[in-house]
Amino acid sequence: MNPTIAIRMVGADFLKLRKKRSTLIWALVLAVAPLLIFFVVKAIQHSSNPAEHSPAGGTGGYADALRVLTLFFGPLAAIMIGTDGGAGDLAAGVFRDLVVTGRSRVALFAARVPAALGLCWLVVLAGYALTLIGTYALASGTTTPGGALVVNGLLFTLFATGIVCVVAVGFSSLVGSRPAALTVLIGWQLIASRILENIESLGSSRKLILSQAIAHFSPVNVSDGHGPRGGATVTMSTGTAVIVSLGWIVVLLALGAWRTRTMDA
Amino acid sequence: MDQSSSPAIETVGLTKRFGERTALDGIDLQVPRGVAFGFLGPNGAGKTTIIRTLLGLTPASAGTMHVLGYPVPAERSQALQRVGAIVEEPRFHMHLTGRENLRIVSAVRGGETLERIDPALARVGLSERAGEKVKSYSMGMRQRLGVARCLLADPLLLILDEPTNGLDPAGIQEFREMIRAMVEQEGRTVFISSHLLDEVEKTCDAAAIVDRGKIVTQGAIAELAAGGGARHELILGVDDADRALGVLDASGLVDDARPSDEGIRVVLAGDPRTAAQVNAALVQAGVGVTRLEPVRHSLEQRFLQITQRLDADLVPEEVRA
Repeated sequence: MNPTIAIRMVGADFLKLRKKRSTLIWALVLAVAPLLIFFVVKAIQHSSNPAEHSPAGGTGGYADALRVLTLFFGPLAAIMIGTDGGAGDLAAGVFRDLVVTGRSRVALFAARVPAALGLCWLVVLAGYALTLIGTYALASGTTTPGGALVVNGLLFTLFATGIVCVVAVGFSSLVGSRPAALTVLIGWQLIASRILENIESLGSSRKLILSQAIAHFSPVNVSDGHGPRGGATVTMSTGTAVIVSLGWIVVLLALGAWRTRTMDA
Repeated sequence: MDQSSSPAIETVGLTKRFGERTALDGIDLQVPRGVAFGFLGPNGAGKTTIIRTLLGLTPASAGTMHVLGYPVPAERSQALQRVGAIVEEPRFHMHLTGRENLRIVSAVRGGETLERIDPALARVGLSERAGEKVKSYSMGMRQRLGVARCLLADPLLLILDEPTNGLDPAGIQEFREMIRAMVEQEGRTVFISSHLLDEVEKTCDAAAIVDRGKIVTQGAIAELAAGGGARHELILGVDDADRALGVLDASGLVDDARPSDEGIRVVLAGDPRTAAQVNAALVQAGVGVTRLEPVRHSLEQRFLQITQRLDADLVPEEVRA
């Protein structure tokens, strides 16, 4: 397949996602609204009692906002978009119409990934922009993040949400049903991983939890402040964190591609 | 194999099983190029299964297939490059416009398909509504958009599964005319699966009748309706039936002649022009001929004959006795 066709296929998948208003609006709400609420509430608290409550912005506010964006609501937005990207054609019933063009099914699957990733990143960038606005506008004279931290924070935001989005594309392609994939992934992200990472008797097997591997790369402490580097609850080496992150991506993409290639269309 | 001279579709021993159930049972099918070919059968006969198998939507259990001369699935990508298909009902992304839906398929097909979007929309009469979301389209418009999607491939072969489902009579007529134009003016091959006998008879040049996963018969519509060989029959009205039967028996012009409710039913020994000789023979023998009417066989009669015979074959011997 030549690159022009590949680019056009990705563009077509991006069009499908971008024009799906319900998904786009919900993803934007998830990426932006919690941060807005966070800054507004913190600003009110600070203005009513500056001695008790630190400013909403500044380096402290940035770390808190980045945690909200990268470990909670950004991944949810990524799941919304990723599951739609993975199972959108099947849900609309057009997958078979794409298969009968003669184009390889793996190519059809492959086009979903960058398209979903592109839209996911656009959405979380809006959240990150709001994080920066709140950080600097509501600093109230406290220290603000330097350029390096802002760039690292941006890269971490893209990394954290990108991995979840790709995993969501693979998983929903594997399952073939967006509602099912959405339920499982949100349940995993919000509930199951949180429970598992706190069961200490599971020991080093907790390193396999994706959110823990992702948190390892955070430029700020994204846990509640008592975790090791990056704020992960589970300590792991950078190499392990890379392997676990890549493992999730490779396994879910392989399963999604396999299912797309072999299923009855 | 020279692809351009090969049949549009050719299957040998095509078999598809779903667990214990055999949906296609050794199908041998040959669809010539440049015709509208009907694939006729009752619901559940295996029509959609053969289409899905030909298009690679589901794998075959056994047998070989060629589409436009290319072996499928080995060269599926090449084979489907010039094939347009609507399987079951045409489906689209409802939140996108008609034109955007075509852009998506065009992106997947590649080549010059982008330039074909506007002509294809114009061809099916959807230019003015192409900017509206598909969810606002009627069933007929979706069907036409499905055809436009097929046309993006500039197809040598169109495969349409129950294409008139959900269309009103005017829509059916319009669709029929479009299919005939594609065959007669543009030289395309159109493969139509349908359970509507009337539809196939009016639209197609040739057909295969399928039942319970097997092809029961195939050929030109007239031949199928006549019962395999080209039987030409007449109804004769005469003033003296006994004498007429004697003349006909002696003439050598007929294979069979027997009285019926309508007059004398005659099977001609030759082609339809023999009817004039039959008339002359009767008149010369002094028999007054008041009616001479060719019998028009309907595919429906033939279809019912075949399927009823199959039903009877399935009834156990002791029950029939």
